[in-house]
Amino acid sequence: MSGLRSFVARRLLLGVLQTIAVVLLVFALIEALPGDAAVALAGDQPDPARIAALREAMHLDRPAHERLTDWVTGLLHGELGTSLSSGRPVGQYICDGFGPTLLLATLTAALLVPAGFGLGVLAARHEGRLADRLISSVTLAVYAVPEFALGILLVTVFALQLRWLPPTAVGYGTDLLGHPAALVLPVLVLLARPVCSLSRLVRAGMIDALASPYVAQARRYGISGARIRYTHALPGALAPAAQQLARTVDWLLCGVIVVEALYVIPGLGTVLLDAVAERDVPVVQGLAVVFGLLTVVLNLGADLVTHRLAPRAGVIA
Amino acid sequence: MTKLRTARFALGMTVVALPLALALLGPLFAGGPGPRAASFTLGAGHRLGTDFVGRDVWRQVLHSGRPVVLTALAATTLSYLVALPVGLLAALTRRRLLEELLMRPLDVLLAVPSLLLILLASTVFSPGPVGLALLVALVNVPDAARLVRAAAAEAAARPAVEALRMQGETWWRTAVGYVGRSMLRTLAADTGTRLTGVLYLVATAAFLGAGVAPDAADWAVMVDRNRIGLFVQPWAVVVPALLIVALTTGTNLLFDAALVDARPSDRGRGRGTRLLDPIRTTRSRAGSEARP
Repeated sequence: MSGLRSFVARRLLLGVLQTIAVVLLVFALIEALPGDAAVALAGDQPDPARIAALREAMHLDRPAHERLTDWVTGLLHGELGTSLSSGRPVGQYICDGFGPTLLLATLTAALLVPAGFGLGVLAARHEGRLADRLISSVTLAVYAVPEFALGILLVTVFALQLRWLPPTAVGYGTDLLGHPAALVLPVLVLLARPVCSLSRLVRAGMIDALASPYVAQARRYGISGARIRYTHALPGALAPAAQQLARTVDWLLCGVIVVEALYVIPGLGTVLLDAVAERDVPVVQGLAVVFGLLTVVLNLGADLVTHRLAPRAGVIA
Repeated sequence: MTKLRTARFALGMTVVALPLALALLGPLFAGGPGPRAASFTLGAGHRLGTDFVGRDVWRQVLHSGRPVVLTALAATTLSYLVALPVGLLAALTRRRLLEELLMRPLDVLLAVPSLLLILLASTVFSPGPVGLALLVALVNVPDAARLVRAAAAEAAARPAVEALRMQGETWWRTAVGYVGRSMLRTLAADTGTRLTGVLYLVATAAFLGAGVAPDAADWAVMVDRNRIGLFVQPWAVVVPALLIVALTTGTNLLFDAALVDARPSDRGRGRGTRLLDPIRTTRSRAGSEARP
């Protein structure tokens, strides 16, 4: 099927272009600094020694294209530069923060699919009745709420009033698995928005699928309701949900940064925010490249899956 | 289903009314800055206690809504100001090259996570409210332009546009008078979802300290700065957080209820197309029309 191959080829090409764009954009960050980058970065402590040190550390005396070449060569070798504030390699920062973030992301992704599909199917089964109206209204409302507001309210209720859960993960370090109670609120907050959008899409897709002729035919054959729902109707409802997956990636990334800040979890988001606050440009750049590439790859994956499920609804490429 | 729709509309109105009124009219009733008291106290002449630097929380709440609402509105408007001409031009041009030149760079930009871009920019600049609005508008342009192009391409392929062209009507009349008008409904539905998304992004960026002063009057900043005193003085955190929840939730409910009949894909389909997610309908529409 040449259509598929050319779609995949075009989508891969777009992915490569997006990767290049992310790398260039992140590099352009320094070039966009007004005036002398070293002076701008020194910020509150503009003493000449610090400015000279910054200029030295970032090789600002060399032309931009040489620095770009060096930086890209470094990236290809997995070298992301060294921190301006501590002198440690950026790769080490990423290694340190990777564990907690991966744990949060894995837990969220593992719970997202059953929760989103479960709610969606449940609402579709009871279309128009109380359960459906309740699920639809709540998901519509929660869908729009920023993580930090939801998170802080949950802390107020569950940690402050009821004292069921710890308010933050302070003191647990990276050993989060040893303290599962500290993970409940962060994962709940991270799940809130993606579950809402996923369940709404699954609901809409299921309602369409359940009303379709092929499901009616399956009913005529006397196939059981559960089997119709899960093996016949649900696959048809998958395509629109898969299209939403790419968007969810962006949300999870935003969400991880906010949730880590809110619950003081020492993951990549916290590393990024600390580096932003200290204007530690190499660390910010390194993390931005990692986050950017992750998004490009996950988007690519989601688009390919969507294309596999619904070849007609061409995704961008 | 109209009953449910009216109920939701009323619910949305009720939920959004309080934060919106506080945001728009609050500063008029706030009065001058009072004397600073001790940080995180309760009572003592302060209705909601004091915040992290000893300011009256109620007064801060009155002052802090406006930036959130105005920045979000400005960012949404700005993104359409760019996306509309770009999308219309790309849909109506006969030159394939121009269309590619206009749309392809935007496709590439879609890959950059929105919050990451804002954080990156705030590493090197101190954007301020105007800068934040510009940045949020910027991250919304690619998606908005794609939607405009898809909606306009559908209208531009109609025989009526051919007829207008053959009559020798001006480009302006064809593009704005006919194509622009026929995609108003899709645009209206998209405005609702976009405004919700922009509100989310503006508030989240402010919470993370991007684009705002550390002691700025902003509900999101209040939540962030006062959270160290949550156990002593919860009101300074809970009130602004609840207002943000009400504002975003209410906006979403309101637009969803108001735009049910503005959703174009409800035509020609059987049962079960009511109450669809506006995002899904406009997006899948945009998707399927992007590649006919």
